[in-house]
Amino acid sequence: MSGAAAPLQWLTMGLLAVGLLGLSPALSLSLLAFGLAVLTALKLREARSLEERRVVALLQLVCAGLLAALRPELAPSLLQGLAILMALAGLLALELGAGPDWKALLRRSLQVLLAAMPIALVLFLLLPRLMPFTNFGAGQGMGAMTGLSDSMEPGSIARLAVSRQAAARVAFPLGGEPPPLEQRYWRVMVHERFDGRSWRSAAPSFARPAAGQPAPPPPPAAPGEGIQLWLIEPSGLAAVPWSGSGRPLSADLNLQRSGELLNRAPGSQRRVYALTEKSDQSGWRTAPPGPIDLLLPLGENPRLEALAAGWRRLGSNRERLDAATGWFRGQPFRYTLEPGALPRQAPLDHFLFESRLGFCGHYASAFTTLMRAAGVPARVVSGYRGGQWVQPVGGTGYVDLRQADAHAWSEVWLDGEGWRRVDPTAWAAGDPLARSGAAGAGSRAGGGPLDWIQQQWWGLDIAWARWWLGYDGEQQQALVARLLGDRSHLLGVVVLLAVAVSLAAGLGGLGWLGRRRRGDPLRLELERTLRAFARQGMAPAAGETLPVFAQRLQQRWPALSGPLEAFVAHYQQQRFAGVPGPIGRRQARRLGRALRRSLRAGNRSQNAVQREHP
Amino acid sequence: MIGAIGAVLLGKEHEVRLALACLLARGHLLIEDLPGMGKTTLAEALARSFGLGFKRVSFTSDLLPADLTGLNVFDPAAASFRFQPGPLFSQVLLADEINRASPRTQSALLEAMAAGRVSVDGTSHSLPRPFLVIATQNGLDQGGTSALPESQLDRFLMRLSLGYPPRQAERALLQGEGLRPDGLSGAFGPEDLLALQDRADRQHCSSALLDYVLDLLERSRRQPAQGHPLSPRAGLALVAAARAWSLLEGRDHVIPDDVQAVLAPVCEHRMDGGQRGGSDGELSQRLQAGVDGLR
Repeated sequence: MSGAAAPLQWLTMGLLAVGLLGLSPALSLSLLAFGLAVLTALKLREARSLEERRVVALLQLVCAGLLAALRPELAPSLLQGLAILMALAGLLALELGAGPDWKALLRRSLQVLLAAMPIALVLFLLLPRLMPFTNFGAGQGMGAMTGLSDSMEPGSIARLAVSRQAAARVAFPLGGEPPPLEQRYWRVMVHERFDGRSWRSAAPSFARPAAGQPAPPPPPAAPGEGIQLWLIEPSGLAAVPWSGSGRPLSADLNLQRSGELLNRAPGSQRRVYALTEKSDQSGWRTAPPGPIDLLLPLGENPRLEALAAGWRRLGSNRERLDAATGWFRGQPFRYTLEPGALPRQAPLDHFLFESRLGFCGHYASAFTTLMRAAGVPARVVSGYRGGQWVQPVGGTGYVDLRQADAHAWSEVWLDGEGWRRVDPTAWAAGDPLARSGAAGAGSRAGGGPLDWIQQQWWGLDIAWARWWLGYDGEQQQALVARLLGDRSHLLGVVVLLAVAVSLAAGLGGLGWLGRRRRGDPLRLELERTLRAFARQGMAPAAGETLPVFAQRLQQRWPALSGPLEAFVAHYQQQRFAGVPGPIGRRQARRLGRALRRSLRAGNRSQNAVQREHP
Repeated sequence: MIGAIGAVLLGKEHEVRLALACLLARGHLLIEDLPGMGKTTLAEALARSFGLGFKRVSFTSDLLPADLTGLNVFDPAAASFRFQPGPLFSQVLLADEINRASPRTQSALLEAMAAGRVSVDGTSHSLPRPFLVIATQNGLDQGGTSALPESQLDRFLMRLSLGYPPRQAERALLQGEGLRPDGLSGAFGPEDLLALQDRADRQHCSSALLDYVLDLLERSRRQPAQGHPLSPRAGLALVAAARAWSLLEGRDHVIPDDVQAVLAPVCEHRMDGGQRGGSDGELSQRLQAGVDGLR
């Protein structure tokens, strides 16, 4: 048994353990993966014989497969691939015996993986899908994570720290263009409940599909329709960003009446989803406001109410909005991240008429309150604004959103038009978006090489999400329909045929790789024969030559002496004396085969004897 | 012939065979052992069995180079100097206890071994062919010895150690069954030896075998902690000795077993720098175990 097997198998265990760290313990399947990994490690610890170590290698492969089902994203997939590579190398070290070093083992293991690629591709493309495992446990994730919050209380925040943490990325794979910078508002949450201080969103109502009845998959995107592909970091929120227009393409998305887009996948993990770029049926815009959109605790901010009462006399919401806009623009508001805390008494009065310092939360909150006081249904929307356009090398461009891009704005109901977005922050002096827009085409300055590497990695990440994760059941059905037309009942036959062909191709490729590497069929024949003996527990000692080894073999199996001598003599002759011609090679193959056959025959008869005389 | 020499040197067929291989490979032989183990007998038997001219010099600490090479003597009759060849001008020179001579004398001998000729007073004199030096040396722990430097050890193709004869052979020896070397009559002549040397040169070395030798050399250089690395000359010596050995085995090509058979005598003294330590051939064994012998 090769000395490389044990370290390789332990290395594999280490890689699997790292992969396990990323699992959320809430899923029952990840508990299974944990348990399996622990069992494998224990088995590895006590394994002594070749058979036990083989079992360990198989368990490791199963473990890696389970991990792959649980974490299909790019980085975990790379880790799983590495673990599989190591597990296979460990198995190869077991089977090949002493001889090949680590480099050779890993190279061979890589070749085995490559040979398995065709069959993997066939299964990936054609085999009907299971439901994604991550859909099992929906709901809110852990609360400790950064991101937007479902309640917004700007008055209590004296200082807002700018966090450069990644929030989300959106790509436009089908040649789509990102909207211009001033149009980039990505809505996440709608805050309708106002208690005078904080804005809360209505309790999210999941329109869950009834148990056992999956939601009907949304129709796929029409050809030529632009697509937005979103990748969001763990946020703990069910609501996910979107542009406000477009139609969900992923089955676990749920568009709320308020315009919130909910994702049923757990928020404690990274989520991927797709939307069409544009749609004329964005129903949330015209969904009429409820009484909650006018709700306002009276008497909290008397000056504000007095100001708004003057606009109540105006006839339409539109005129009231224009009046408020005009008033707002006339005041010397200034944008700052350090406005200081507002007083507990009449906070908005203080902001509007005295300090006039604040960030987006203050503006959105004050403006929305003003509009409600003037009798216009209004609400606060939080989400992201702007974002940096990144064009990775040789990939699809994407908009990179950081937590620093988090933003809040107002939405106002206008009769005949619906909900209109109003961003009072844009009217204040020193709005960061206006500044950055002036500085360049939406690109934030800076970034060292590390930032650059991260941007490239995310580009890769998006490509992975698009081609690997994005290939879901619908696309599969589309492919099958394109391949087979209405003869889809033949799918099973096609899959079987494709599996057979790709298996043959893989094995053929493996053999070709092996031959090409050694380049010497004579040597190959010798190694085949050596393996046959290694399986019987006879491996050549270090530095031992073939004649010496053959003598030892002959002592162990005296019956083999004929074919053994013939093979060794021929091999030595071919190898060291003449120039080996094709006839010599064929002869070597014949002799080698004869030798192995008689070895097997000898073993069988020996076993039979043992069975008869135990 | 091995049997003939074996009759003189009882119970030492393997060593005799190695010494013969050394002779066929045109190499010089260093025999290291305790006094009285048959070193001189082996040298004499080798020389006589090929009918070679044999001279013997006992190296002492006051031996001068001229005592070996000979010198120009003034001949009053011809009124000129005449070269009087020394004992070096023989086909087999037995240099007894070489490590007792002064380094200067040692190097004169070794120069002659390497170049095959001797220069005295500006005139070059060719040495006879075949020319073989069999040097014996006592163990370095014996009194009055000075170690040969590595560079000179490298000139010897092989270093052998005879060791005690097996009990059976020693009994025969005591019973007087061994032959005296002078009783050997040459069934072969010096021409036969030259022909055999030429044949040994033509033994086929396949590329697989050369790869094996190269791997051995590379291995010895990669792990300098295990003895001195082997020089290219060591590689040449190894191949030459393996060729001679394969000829003695009756084959027309060299196989790794031949290389392994001569590995310890050819390489051990190059790797341990003359400081014999540990068990016999330990370094070569380790070297051999470090390279895959299945070719």
